[in-house]
Amino acid sequence: MSDRARNGLFVAAMVLMAGVLAFMVSTEPATADRVEAIGVQIKCPVCQGESIANSPAQMAQDMMALVAERVDAGATDSEIIDELLSSYSGAVLLDPPASGNTLILWLAPLVVLAIGIGVIVWWKRHPGTESGAEPEPPSRGRGRLITGGVVLIAALAGIIVVAGSSLQERSGATAGVADLDTQDLDQVSNETMEAVVAANIDHPEINGMRVALAERYFEINDYRSAFPHYLAVAESESATAAETATALVRLGWMAYDGNGEVDAAVSLIDRALEIAPGSQIGLYFKGQILWCGAGDARAATELFNAVLSDPELPTESRTQIEVAQAMASRGEACP
Amino acid sequence: MLAFLGIAGVIAALIGSILLVVRGISAARGGAANLVAPGRLMLGGAVASMVAMEVALLSDDFSLVYVANHHSTTTPFPFDLATGWAALEGSIVLWGLVLAGFTWAVVSKYRKSPDSLGAGALAVMGGVGIFFFGLILTIANPFEVCVSALEVGCAESSWLPFATTEVPAQGPGPNPLLQNHILMAIHPPMLYLGYVGMTVPFAYAISALALSVPGPEWLRRSHRSTLVAWSFLTLGIVLGGWWAYEVLSWGGYWAWDPVENASLMPWLIATAFLHSAIVQQRRGMLQAWNFVLVISTFALTILGTFLTRSGTINSVHSFTQSLIGPALLGFLVLVLAGSFTLFSLRAHRVATSPRIETFVSREGTFLLNNLLLTVYGFVVLIGTVYPLLLEAFTGTQVGVGEPFFNRLAVPLSFLLLLVMGLGPLTPWGGAPLGLLWKRLRGPILLGLGSGVLVAVFVTRVGWVVLAVSLGVFVASGILGLLGEQIRRRQAKTEESLWGSTKKVVGGDQPFWAGQVSHIGVVLLVIGIAFAANLGVHANVELQPGESVEFTDYTLTYESPFRRQEPNRIVQGVRITVTQGDQFVTTLEPRANFYGADTSGVTTPAVLSTPKGDLYVTLRNLDSESAELALNTSPLIWMLWLGGLTAAGGGVLALFARRRERKPLAERQTADV
Repeated sequence: MSDRARNGLFVAAMVLMAGVLAFMVSTEPATADRVEAIGVQIKCPVCQGESIANSPAQMAQDMMALVAERVDAGATDSEIIDELLSSYSGAVLLDPPASGNTLILWLAPLVVLAIGIGVIVWWKRHPGTESGAEPEPPSRGRGRLITGGVVLIAALAGIIVVAGSSLQERSGATAGVADLDTQDLDQVSNETMEAVVAANIDHPEINGMRVALAERYFEINDYRSAFPHYLAVAESESATAAETATALVRLGWMAYDGNGEVDAAVSLIDRALEIAPGSQIGLYFKGQILWCGAGDARAATELFNAVLSDPELPTESRTQIEVAQAMASRGEACP
Repeated sequence: MLAFLGIAGVIAALIGSILLVVRGISAARGGAANLVAPGRLMLGGAVASMVAMEVALLSDDFSLVYVANHHSTTTPFPFDLATGWAALEGSIVLWGLVLAGFTWAVVSKYRKSPDSLGAGALAVMGGVGIFFFGLILTIANPFEVCVSALEVGCAESSWLPFATTEVPAQGPGPNPLLQNHILMAIHPPMLYLGYVGMTVPFAYAISALALSVPGPEWLRRSHRSTLVAWSFLTLGIVLGGWWAYEVLSWGGYWAWDPVENASLMPWLIATAFLHSAIVQQRRGMLQAWNFVLVISTFALTILGTFLTRSGTINSVHSFTQSLIGPALLGFLVLVLAGSFTLFSLRAHRVATSPRIETFVSREGTFLLNNLLLTVYGFVVLIGTVYPLLLEAFTGTQVGVGEPFFNRLAVPLSFLLLLVMGLGPLTPWGGAPLGLLWKRLRGPILLGLGSGVLVAVFVTRVGWVVLAVSLGVFVASGILGLLGEQIRRRQAKTEESLWGSTKKVVGGDQPFWAGQVSHIGVVLLVIGIAFAANLGVHANVELQPGESVEFTDYTLTYESPFRRQEPNRIVQGVRITVTQGDQFVTTLEPRANFYGADTSGVTTPAVLSTPKGDLYVTLRNLDSESAELALNTSPLIWMLWLGGLTAAGGGVLALFARRRERKPLAERQTADV
């Protein structure tokens, strides 16, 4: 067979097979399982970057069960996703939309690709030869490059300083109220504290560490992890009055913020206020719940006033509560 | 006692590092300085501190806080050994040891042929050593002693090794997830060998830039370390996936979670570097680009350590809770800013590359490979870091996960596979189109043909068909090239087939070692495509004695069981698996309870067959019934085999005999 004929055969066979493939192959997504397909799009609120479809955490499994239930009930994907996002704090969409503040995620890789292609093409055409480009006059080039380096260092350092301080500001803002009654946290990691707590479960003095650990979870809205620790402290007979009060206040707040149970929340905080009548955080949370949950701005105003009357209230908490007090006293709805 | 030994070791290593920097710089400037002694000091100190740590763990010395809080007397071998790197402080000791090991390798090379390039590289390695040993000595000190004990574990510690200690009788043991599978003992050291090994090419690159040493000498010197690091990084990533599969019980192996991404980023860029280094060595091109890649790879290993070890991923707010995050981030900035400033000052002196003549050439495919790998690395980087940055700056939480990565990474992976098929068949310097067509037509036909076969007999799912098509295209291209060269050789000589094969492969060992890695990648991609697209999933609830049909298996719930093991309580169910009338096996999906942990670590039971795995997880168990999650992972063994083969190719390249080649562009259209 001549070379030409052989090539012809090759091409014919290729075209034929490509045609067969184009005809046969399905581009349907392989996951026919809608529950799974929805699950991989939602971040599990208590895990490290895992989706609820992939996480063995109890919360993730509960959420998956909810998805399955809603799928069976005939809800659409976006309905189910919206429902999950609104009812679980910390659950976020893992599939960032190509709009708003995540548009850049989709554009940036394309820009990098375009720049890459541009650089390669430019590099090929650039009139440099085997010996390389004419070296720039050293003094000028050097000065410019040093300036560039300094600017680069300054820019990076600036970014870090700004990021760090903005972090601290905001953790200060969120912690301002939450930190009122509790001790400082030490340098121990969450994992270590969990391990120590688990290992000393019956130790009478473990409640302090439990509260500290639970406070950390509470601060990042990880109620699911915080809950068992607060509950254990609230039920523990060896806990100090302050520890019990803190735990009850937090349990109350989580009952309200996590599950929307206003009555249960108020009764828990009332129990705390019986033990520690002056608890700033207890009064403040109760005010918030009555205002935002029960719409009772007047009761809230009184409670906020009680907190503000304490001269030892830290300044940043004071500012925050004053704003709330002012709004509530005008009878406005909570923000 | 062990605290003293440990701290003394770290101090010795730190002094060794400082001396390496001081003497390295002086030797690089042409002075005479002994670099062997500081290298020895660094290695000796690092070994002593690791030994102190391990002896403390093996002898249950709870006077050390690290041991008291991460170990327990019931932790069995080898998990007690592995506890040495299971938590932050210990893992940095291991990091230091590996760094000292690689430094010693550079010292040994320097001892044989002392010159300024080697001395400069040692100074850089010493600098990195100062950072890490300094870290151990200050904010991540694992040799702190316990001064206030709890019943189990330690409440308060002191960094003074001679402080009066209060020793707890027992510790809580390592994190349950980490003592649940043997892979967790080997996976981190592999990853560290990979991460830390990238310091060597980085050190030579910085040395070459600082001393204005042109040419590929820095690449040649660091070649072996780069290969060692790359192979271990590959192995570490694959073992990490395997561990996730065997332990985390959701039936998957990769979830694009930030910890995984942290290891993938340096791998992608290091892989680009391995290829572009070849271009520089063969054609003298991409000299500046190689500096950029090697600096980026090293920076990404530090970024990965920062992400995984500072707790920033878990919550951006934990960034300020410990000093370790700011320290690593500061080091990262220093590395990036310092290196790139140096690069911009010196690149024009050390990197004067000839331009490419045509894109239809081996170097053209390498360029494309580098472009794709870099974009791939960037996708992983931005997807991992962007949500953290956005939250740090604005407080807004966005999620970036599997759907995002898959949408970008899957097409990039397939494009890379395509280029991987073209590259080895395309000659250097420019390919005559006739030759290219002659080499490509067979593989294209086979690729398309196997795609048709898969579509007809197995599945019509597009990604699977594409994976097999491209995989066969790549593999048959490699085998075809081997065949062509053997035939050509046999036409000239009277050798046997085996003899010719040996000669052809032996004639260019690094190339063929690379092709082994390519075959590994092909297997890996096919394994992933099958497991990800054709797996079947079901949740069932069974009462004892009840059976369920799942794919072609019948699973029968026999009975629950509970047994006490030295370090854990194991609770699970016995499932008999039959196929038709044939008994296949008994599976025991279970939950393991360690210490006082009451939630248990769910551990899947896996039946592996050539067709794939049956993967059974116990979701819930009560006196009435058991809830099980059933999964199949078709051909998943190909993924593990492929990953190991890819790493194996790297190891083969390490032992490959390298021909001395003409350095620059004289060799026109030379094959392979």
